[in-house]
Amino acid sequence: MSARQPLLATENLAVGYTNGPPVLQDVTFTANPGQRIAVLGPNGGGKTTLFRALLHELRPTQGTLTTTGRCASVPQTERSRLDFPVSALDVALMGTIPSRRWWRRPSRTDRAAARAALKRVDLADRAERTYGELSGGQRQRVLIARALVQNAQILLLDEPFTGLDTMSAARLEELLRALADEGRAVLIATHDLEQARRWDRVLCVNGRQVAFGVPAETLTHDVLAQTYGAAIVTLPGEDPAAPHHAILPPHHHHHDAPPH
Amino acid sequence: MLEPFQLPFVQRALVELLLLAVLAGTLGCWIVLRGLAFPAHGAAAAAFPGLVLADGLGFAGALGGFGAALLFALAVGRLGTRRGEGHDTLTALVLVAALATGIVLASDVFHSAASVESLLFGSLLAIGPPDVRLAAVAALVALAATWLLGTRWLASGFDPASAPALGIRSKLPDTLLLVLVALGAVATLSAVGALLATALLVVPAATTRLATNRIPTWQRATVALAAAEGTLGIWLAVELNAPPGATIAVVAGAAFVATALGRAVAPSLRTAT
Repeated sequence: MSARQPLLATENLAVGYTNGPPVLQDVTFTANPGQRIAVLGPNGGGKTTLFRALLHELRPTQGTLTTTGRCASVPQTERSRLDFPVSALDVALMGTIPSRRWWRRPSRTDRAAARAALKRVDLADRAERTYGELSGGQRQRVLIARALVQNAQILLLDEPFTGLDTMSAARLEELLRALADEGRAVLIATHDLEQARRWDRVLCVNGRQVAFGVPAETLTHDVLAQTYGAAIVTLPGEDPAAPHHAILPPHHHHHDAPPH
Repeated sequence: MLEPFQLPFVQRALVELLLLAVLAGTLGCWIVLRGLAFPAHGAAAAAFPGLVLADGLGFAGALGGFGAALLFALAVGRLGTRRGEGHDTLTALVLVAALATGIVLASDVFHSAASVESLLFGSLLAIGPPDVRLAAVAALVALAATWLLGTRWLASGFDPASAPALGIRSKLPDTLLLVLVALGAVATLSAVGALLATALLVVPAATTRLATNRIPTWQRATVALAAAEGTLGIWLAVELNAPPGATIAVVAGAAFVATALGRAVAPSLRTAT
């Protein structure tokens, strides 16, 4: 695949749920191989809806969505059942389900692929450990391994750094950098502005696309104010000409998907 | 000591229980894992009016029971999902309604109140070849379904929100699990009755879950435990002249309490993987 050809491109994309108004609209951006893209937006702003559209779980109500690589989701670890009697290898093996006929059991090749993916995320020695007994950072890497088993070229991570300690976060960030360097596009839903500044692109959404571009040009006070509204605060920095911005943490977390 | 097992009707009951142990070990683990214990109890209770209706109208009891249990299981699954609520409230409502309907049908419509006790608590020592055949079919179907759909049941229960992204977009596997719960509930009725079905379908799996940490180990341990509990229960029932279904339920309950206490006293006990 050409390095110039986007793995993902949207043009005036609008997405919503059945019989409802669009939850997200006017989304136009591209994701190229090797790019790490921070997706910023308030809770309910459309980040999860965008990811569901990229996974083809929701049909665009308007505009176009073109993907030339497979998308895989890496959800927050809190969404999975930590009390389930499954090993890290069992979870990674779940990534083989899309490529198997419904009546087929995981083959030796599938198991080898799952073990290779765990090795890729530095968890080869934890393959037989119970998933719920792993640390938060390790669980997040197991879920990334599950996505890698799907041969995904586009990884969609939903707030992967939430709850991680500094060391685990740094290790995960390094892993995401390495996975992008191998030619994948990595989209990370996050509220961490400082982290977003280190990614290649930033996509800001709040019911519609507010901005898309390189962090230095995109993460301005105006864009953040449009994205987060009253939740954005300006902090005095060492350089008065370049103040820091921060997002007030939400009182409670919820996703923008409606109840089923 | 083993004299009771020389009696033909006890031997038949033992075969039935060993077959149901396979059902308990395969289906029971999925019921516990997927939080379907109460719906399984409800499905067995819902079968009760179906059995009474079949008895009164003169068609196969298993057919009537399965039809009613299936209707219940599918309704609970569908309405529970659509309302975004758990199964508990709806299950409790249907459970009460099913028992009341069954008793009214038995006592006032078909005047067959004498069979109510055996329908509610089972008649293990009076089972016939059709009951054994039904248990064998249910056990085989549970084994086959576990083999074919186990990884999907595991993945969709582990992280329901991500299941569509893993290619599990159809509700069919989860619907088939509910159908299997209905079949399993009906298969256990002749042994332990509508009110004690969970003594076989839930309690052994809940007990072994306390000491296991992988699905295959858990299922094998549950088959062994359910077989042991059934064998001990039927021996005790014959020796003590006690009702067999209730005796098996007491044995299963005691095993659960003993295991839970053992885990509480020695929490460092390593779980089997």
